[in-house]
Formats: sequence, C-alpha cells, structure tokens
Amino acid sequence: MKNNNFIFSYFLISLCLCFNLACSRDDRPIKVDLNETMHIKPKIEQNIITYAYLPQYSHTTSYKRHHQIVKYLREQTGLNIKQVFPDTFDQHMAMVGNGKVDISFSNPFIYVKLADQFNASAFARIVTIQDQEKFRGQIICRENNKNIKTLEDCRGKTWIAVDKTSAGGYLFPLGLFYSNGIYQKDFKEIAFAPGPGAKQEKVVFAVHAGKYDIGTIREGTLNVVANRIKTSDIRVIANTPLYPGWVYATRKNLDTNIIDQIKTALLALDFNKKEDRPVLEAADFIKVISSEDQEFNPIRKLAAELTVRK
Amino acid sequence: MFPFRRIKPEFRNQIYLVMFSLLMLLGLVNFFIVSKIMQDAMIEENKNRAVSIGINLSARLVEPVLTMDYFSMKKLVDETVRLSDDIYYTFVLDQNDNPVIHSFQNGFPVQLVHVNTVQKNKTFAQQYLNTGKHLVYDYALPIIVDANRIGTLRIGLLTTRVEKATRRIMIIALFSTILTILIAALAGFLLFRPMTRNINRLHNSAEQVMRGNLEIQSAPLLNKNCWDIMECSQKKCPAYHNIHQRCWYTAGTLCKTCAEGDYAKKISSCQQCKVYKTCAGNEIQSLAESFDYMILSLRDHLAELNLAKEDVSKQKTLLQTILDGLPDFVSLQNKNAEYISINQAFCTMTGKTQHDILGKTARDMFDFPHGSTYLKEDIKVLETGKPFVMETTGMDTSGKKWLHVVKSPILKETGAVSGLVSSGRDISDNKIIHEQLCQAQKMESVGQLAAGVAHEINTPLGIILGYAQILQQDVEQNSQTFQDLKLIEKHSKICSRIVSDLLRFSRRIQSTITQFDIHNSLNDVLSMIEHTYGLEHVILEKKYDADMPFVKGDEEKIKQVFINLFNNAFDAIGKNGKIGIETSLDSNTDSIVITISDTGSGILLKHLNKLFDPFFTTKGVGKGTGLGLSVTFGIIEEHGGKIKVESRQSMEELPWAYGEYNTVFIITLPISKNNELK
Repeated sequence: MKNNNFIFSYFLISLCLCFNLACSRDDRPIKVDLNETMHIKPKIEQNIITYAYLPQYSHTTSYKRHHQIVKYLREQTGLNIKQVFPDTFDQHMAMVGNGKVDISFSNPFIYVKLADQFNASAFARIVTIQDQEKFRGQIICRENNKNIKTLEDCRGKTWIAVDKTSAGGYLFPLGLFYSNGIYQKDFKEIAFAPGPGAKQEKVVFAVHAGKYDIGTIREGTLNVVANRIKTSDIRVIANTPLYPGWVYATRKNLDTNIIDQIKTALLALDFNKKEDRPVLEAADFIKVISSEDQEFNPIRKLAAELTVRK
Repeated sequence: MFPFRRIKPEFRNQIYLVMFSLLMLLGLVNFFIVSKIMQDAMIEENKNRAVSIGINLSARLVEPVLTMDYFSMKKLVDETVRLSDDIYYTFVLDQNDNPVIHSFQNGFPVQLVHVNTVQKNKTFAQQYLNTGKHLVYDYALPIIVDANRIGTLRIGLLTTRVEKATRRIMIIALFSTILTILIAALAGFLLFRPMTRNINRLHNSAEQVMRGNLEIQSAPLLNKNCWDIMECSQKKCPAYHNIHQRCWYTAGTLCKTCAEGDYAKKISSCQQCKVYKTCAGNEIQSLAESFDYMILSLRDHLAELNLAKEDVSKQKTLLQTILDGLPDFVSLQNKNAEYISINQAFCTMTGKTQHDILGKTARDMFDFPHGSTYLKEDIKVLETGKPFVMETTGMDTSGKKWLHVVKSPILKETGAVSGLVSSGRDISDNKIIHEQLCQAQKMESVGQLAAGVAHEINTPLGIILGYAQILQQDVEQNSQTFQDLKLIEKHSKICSRIVSDLLRFSRRIQSTITQFDIHNSLNDVLSMIEHTYGLEHVILEKKYDADMPFVKGDEEKIKQVFINLFNNAFDAIGKNGKIGIETSLDSNTDSIVITISDTGSGILLKHLNKLFDPFFTTKGVGKGTGLGLSVTFGIIEEHGGKIKVESRQSMEELPWAYGEYNTVFIITLPISKNNELK
C-alpha cells in the first residue's frame, strides 16, 4: 500500500512536470504567407502646399517646432499643407527657387537672398517669445574663459559659427565684429557647425566643450539647449543689433488666394488663446504679424556691407 | 503467461531506490525549472535585444521618415538585417500603415502589415509568426516625434537563435543534472551504506530472535573498549573484556565513575563518562546496542520464566492431581459462565473430555432442559454473588444420579464477581441407603404393628374359631345356624391366614432351616397349582438347570414365595397365558437364580417401586391383601438373597430380553455351602 502511494506520488509529480513542460511553449504562432507580395511605389500626392522651416536645427527639432503650425494651417485653411525638411540652407533656397517649397519660414538674410534671387515675397513675420518683433545674434564663450571679456578679446581666438548664411548665428555677429574693426582674418580660426541640422545647438556644444573659444548663435538658442547642458557655463560676450525677425515668404507665382488664406490663419494665432498657445510655444514665437519686403532693407544693407568687406 | 512473482526488495535497495527516485525527481524538477527559467530568460533577452535594436533604429529613422529619405531608410533597414543573422526582415510603415520601405528582396509581403500593431501609449508589440519556413518574433515599434507617431518600424526576429541557445541550455542542463544525480547518488550510496549494513545486521538479528536464537550480536565491535579508554585492569568487573556488551548496559560495573544499578539507573551518569562519549554511536548503533541489551535481558527473563513455568507446571499438575483425585466434581467458570477449568470427576460425570468442555457453558454441555436450568443457576450466582446449594438429580453415563451441588462466587477485591466455583458430590449411594433405611424403619413399624395386632387378634380369633367349630357340633348340619357357623369358621380361617401372613411378615414365625433341592420345592408347588392353572389354559413352562446345588433355608417359606409369585402371575394372566420357570447357577456369585415370568399384563413403571411395599396391591377389594410380595421380599431377604422385578411396560424404550413374557421376577439365593441364613 505504501509502495503504491509512493509510485502514485511519483507518477503524479512526473505528470505535473510533463504538463509544465507542455505548457512552457509560447502561444501558437500566427501563420503568415510571405509569398503574397506587392511593389511599393513612393506616393506622390497632388495639390500639396509645402511648408519648410530653414534647417537651422535638426529635422526633428524643425518638426517639433512647426508640425503643430502646419497642422493648424491645414485645419484652418483646408489646404493639404505638409512640412518638408531641406537638409541645408542652400537646399532650402533651392527648393524655394524651384517651387518645391511653397511657404518658407526663414531668417531675414535667407529671405533677402530668396527674394532677390527667386522672387520670393514676404507676407508675415514673427514676434519672438521675448515679445520682440526683431531678433539678434549672440557671441558666447565659456563662463570660465578669463581671456575673453570683451569683443576685442576675441581677436586671435577660434570662432565657431552656425552657417555662412545664418543671420543670428553668423552674419549679425560678423556685422558686429566688422563695426568693431574685427575681421575674419583677425580670428585664429572660423569654423562652421557641421550639418545637416542642429547647427545652433552644435555651436553651443562646441563652445561648452572648449573646442572653440567663442561661438555665435541666434538669441534664444541657449534656452533650446538648457535641458542638455548647464547654460550657466556659457557666458554671452555681446549681443548684435536687432534686425527684423524670421519671415514667412512665398515662392513666386503661388496663388494669392492661398497666400491670403495662410496669412489670415497665421495672423489669427493668439498666444492668449488656449488652443493656440501650445502651437506658438512649440514654434518659439508668440505672434505672427503682417510684413512686407521693404522691411528687410536693413538686412540687405548689412549683407551688402559684409559682401563688400568680405 | 509467465508466472510473475513479486519480489520484496531489501531495505537497503529500498533506500537506494527511494534516494535515487528522489534525486531523479529533484533533478528532473531542477532540470525543467532551470531550463524553463533559462529559456524564458533567453526569450526575454532576445525580446529585449529586438526591442533595443528597434528603438535605436526607430530613433535613427525619425529624420529619414520626416524627410521621406528613402535612400537613408533603405540603407538603415538593409544594414539592420545584414548585421544580424537572426533579423529576418525590417520594414517601415507610414502614419497610415502603408509600407514605405522594407528589406525584402522580392517584394513586400502584404500579409505582414496587419499581423502586428502597436497600441497607442505602448512602446512595442510582439507577435509570434509562422511564415511556413520560419518561426518569427515580429516586433512593432512606433516612430515618434514630439509625441506624434510618424510611422511604425517592424522587425522580424528569427527564433533560430533562441532555439539554438535553448537547445544548448537544455543539453547543458541535462548533462549537469545527470552528473549531479550521479554524484549525489554516489555520495548517498557511500553515506547510506554503513547505515543500511547496520540495519540489515539488526534485521538479521531480529530474524534470528524470531527463530528462537537469542545468541546474537547486532552492535558492531568497538575499536576501543572501556578498559582501554579507562586503562582499567579490574578483571572482576563484568564489563572487563566483554566485547559484546557496552559497559553502560552492564550492571555492577566496578568503575569509580559508574553509578550502581542497571541501565535505567546508571545511564544518566554514564552519558557524562568519556567511555560513553567515545563509544556511543549514532542512533542505529544505539538501537543495535539497545537491541542486544534487550535480547540479553530477554534471555535472562526467559530463563527465569522457564523456571517459573516449570514451577507453575508442577503446581498445576499437583493441583490437578488433587482435583482429579477428588470424587467430587469441581469446575471453575468465568464471568460468562464458561468452563475454564474442570477436574476428572467432572469429565467422568459428563462423559466428555476436557477439550470438549472448556470454553462452553452448562447449556452447551447438558441436555435440555437441565442445561438451561444449570446455566440460569450459574448466572444467578454470578449476578447476585450469593452461593447456591442444592440437591438434584442428574444423568451420567451410569444412569441417574443424586448430586449435592454447591456453586460459590469468586469475588475480586472490589467485591465484583469474576467467576464461580462449582463442586458436586454424588450422593446416590447415600440416597439409596437413606431410602432403604426409611423402608426398613417403615417395614419395622408395620411389622411391629402387624405383630401386635396379630398377637392380640390371634387369641380371640382362636376362641371364635374354636367356638364356631364347637357350636357346629351342637346344631344340625342343614340348619341355617350351621351354615352361619360354617361361614364364621371360614372367615375366621381367612382372618387366621391374614394374621399368619402378618406374623410371617413381621418374622415372628419360627423358621425351620434345612438343606433342600430347589427343584423339588418348585415341583411341589407346581403340582399343587398345575391343575387349577390348567383349567384356565395357563401353561407352566419349566427350564431347570441340571446342575443345581442345594439351598439352605426354610423350605416352606421358600415354597410360600413361589406360591405367591405364581398366584400373582396367574392373577395377571387371567386366562390363556404362560408362566415360565427357569433356574440357573451363577458360579461367579455362588448363587442360584430363579426366574418366574408370565405373559400377563405387566407392571406399570409407577407401581414398580412400590411393589414390595406392604398393603400395596393393584387387585380389587377382597382379592388381595397387599402383603404377598412384602412377605416374599421379607423371606428372600431373610435368606440372604435378592428379588427384583422387571416389566416390559416399565422398560420404556430399552430392549426387552425376555421374549413373550411381560413380567419377570428374578430371585437370587445363595447356595448352601457358603451362605448362612441370617
């Protein structure tokens, strides 16, 4: 009887183990036939209004900043507006020139070029988060860099700028240097942030890392990188004069009706409206105001000066 | 069919079997659990790896997807597949789950699109797929920018890597389990071997004991004994050089540290002794030593028990002899009234052996209704606790007996009855003597009365008879007076005869002792009655023994006996019958036997005992005085003989040895040469 109990227990445990083993397999797989295939063709959508943000940052940042505006415009105008992402400033300009970008959001220098080279026309510009209709560049160094305290101290130093076409990140500071008698040849090295995208941030990172003595950025960039580096480690040596800010422009020959719809929608954005506020905050401005091409003549003047003294 | 015989395994093999089974079980459990855990871990690790790859890739795909950079996307998905053997495919879906780019060579498999979808707020989704050729874990990961899902990355991970790793793990786990089991089994074998060996030795010792062999040694011999450890040389110590018994089991050891007394008294102090601490083994060795000690004690106790048994046996024999020597029957019954001990007289009385009687009650032993009655008496004594005394009759093998029975309760100290002792004495002889004494006294009283009456009547009767005869001479013979006187004379003579009978009964008649031939006496009597009986067709059939000695006695009285018996026979027959007369010599008892039989109506059983009583008669009024057989009995007794009567009617179912005759009187008389008349 005892032996029987023993054998029974043994058998029971073995059975449990077998059951356990049997149950240890995953769920039954779903059968999929891989033989039923299709050829993928890139979808070319018609009647798209393309919206491009000058790639001073990464595409991801560009997307983060402007996809809500694009969505807003789509909803407000009913137009099939889509954001596109040029890799470089030149590409951005080229795409405006060849009609691949219908709505350009760019700095005033680029706009001046777009207007002069490709007949783009400004129809609105932004008011910055600091409630400024105009913007400026900043010259920065490491906080602990005792050798640089004034613009004059920048002579013989290494300089990293955003891009040759960047207004706040190169041209405005260069104009400031020129006005202070400091020219490109006075710097030990002038470098530009590697592309594509995130160039403003890369300048800050390079200075923060000590790779370059000074850097030039658009005002507001430090806020962008505030969650990635300790911004108190960076000191602003000087700010450039204010110039008209970023501008919305259209390529040549865009339907004026479309321009009007978009302009109206942009001008209607109200920072105090609950539903508009996140859109504007993401885009890093608080308002869009109407604009015209002649408002950018100071830029044209600065550009001419820089070109002459180049 | 082969005859299978179940072989009971030895304890040692049972231990090994159980141990090995448990190890197997443990190993299997470990194997399965470890395998399962490792397999799950492997799958989990694989999943994590796939998810990690997916997260990286989806991050890298953000910008190409945003810019719809097909080249970059294609490069990324192709590189991902190329760099990993087990990544089967990679593809990207746009926001509307339309395939954008993929790593397949021959077109995109449409069915893959919807088999796995990642829910909103989930980081990934896993699906187990069977493509027909491969088993694939499909992972779907969202491509997210600023909380906006701009596409979905799908990665197909072949299970081959997991299966290979799992197989390898299973093999390693299996081999390690087997190795562990074998090592554990070997260790267990080495560990259990001494234990099982000791248990087997103990078992064999127990078997030897069961077979009656008490000369066994279960405990192993020690390397060092107490005299070695204590450096002792006391040869008188019972433990000295006693290698078979530990000193703490030995009483009367002489060591200074030892307490006096046996094991129970000394063990507490022994446990503190260095001999105990050195020599005491594990529980099994202790068990073996205890077993040896118990066997030793058992041996001593058995020896004592045998002596006691012999003593008890002697006492029992003696007691039984005494009991059996008693003429009284004695029995002992338990509280259920069952016989638990009896003596020989009881067996003789019941005609059964001890074996037949013991364990039974009186109801089982005796016929109904006696058995039930006896049992009731037993129960009454057991219930009341009061003795029971009675005289009763019973049948034994020799016939009816008178018994004097005493039943006494056996009382415990508490007063409760635990059984009863019965003793019975055969008082049949006493009863007979008592009855005879009563009869004799009765006869003597009757005789004295009869003698007195006869003596007083005899004289006036003689005067009546004399005067009646004288008066007859004075009156004419034909006169009424003469007739009356004749009548007076006749009845006076009848009275005179009655008186003579009474006197004879009371033995007041003088006897004339002579030696005579019994046949002559019989013939004289028969010659007188032959004619008369012949008239009634009653035949007399004689059968004399030729060699018959003389009888010494009063021939006339003997003749009177014959006359009485013949008359009784004749009266019983009435008409048409036969009376048998037979004589024989019984040389064993030196006596002659005269048998007088008749074919009459016989005698009823109830009359048989009273037949020889005076004045008892079954004849009608005026036909008999009831003194004939009393006188006959008296005469025969006077001659030192015996008379008895047997009747067919009173024999009930017993066989009847006298043929056609119904009543037989048998007279035994001593022959003359040896016997004197009383």
